Amino acid sequence: MTTIQTRFGEIKYDPSHILHFPEGLIGLQRLKNFLVMPNPKKGPLFWIQSVDDPSFAVVVTDPTHFFLDYRVIPDADERKVLGISDEDECFVLVIVSISAQKEITLNLQGPLLYSPATNQAMQVIVEDPRYSTRMPLPEIRP
Amino acid sequence: MLVLTRKPGEGILIGDNIVVKIIEVKSGGIRIGIDAPQDTKIYRQEVYDRIRQENIEASAGWDMTDLDLFSDQLADRAPKK
Repeated sequence: MTTIQTRFGEIKYDPSHILHFPEGLIGLQRLKNFLVMPNPKKGPLFWIQSVDDPSFAVVVTDPTHFFLDYRVIPDADERKVLGISDEDECFVLVIVSISAQKEITLNLQGPLLYSPATNQAMQVIVEDPRYSTRMPLPEIRP
Repeated sequence: MLVLTRKPGEGILIGDNIVVKIIEVKSGGIRIGIDAPQDTKIYRQEVYDRIRQENIEASAGWDMTDLDLFSDQLADRAPKK
């Protein structure tokens, strides 16, 4: 077991449980190793905590919980980074931001691809004018 | 920074296997063609910078109280059909 000091206090973790980003996050290449933090509350949000920089942690979620038709299909190069073949499953997560006004937005332009088979992940850029780095949650109509 | 002057149709080589070609110059914009190995990542700089900045701000904004609050608020929210 290894220990780091984070905003959650001291975390002990088993290095074999690390979620590995071989290329780091976009623009933050040094952030290659993360821990998935259990959220004691119900709901779709959870933290991933950087091991490389204990002050860095982001909230992520399954975007299809809010945007049903949001899809990101990894191409051949991305599958190579994730270490998976065409048949292997690949999940999409997005980073959730909170503004000073306590409004939350999803980064649909820079989603995370995640392979449960290899425990590898990567951030990609989606060049689709419908999606921004700060998509407000769709309103629910009664 | 290296600065070169090129005309439409001319190009530059970066290393042995990246070619950047000026396709067309029209009012306010320049069309560029890039030949690079498949695994070379090519991004528009402002998009790359925006995502980098968003990653940093996403980490700074949250605290535990906010997460608890939004977890409760979103737990009941059914996906939009």
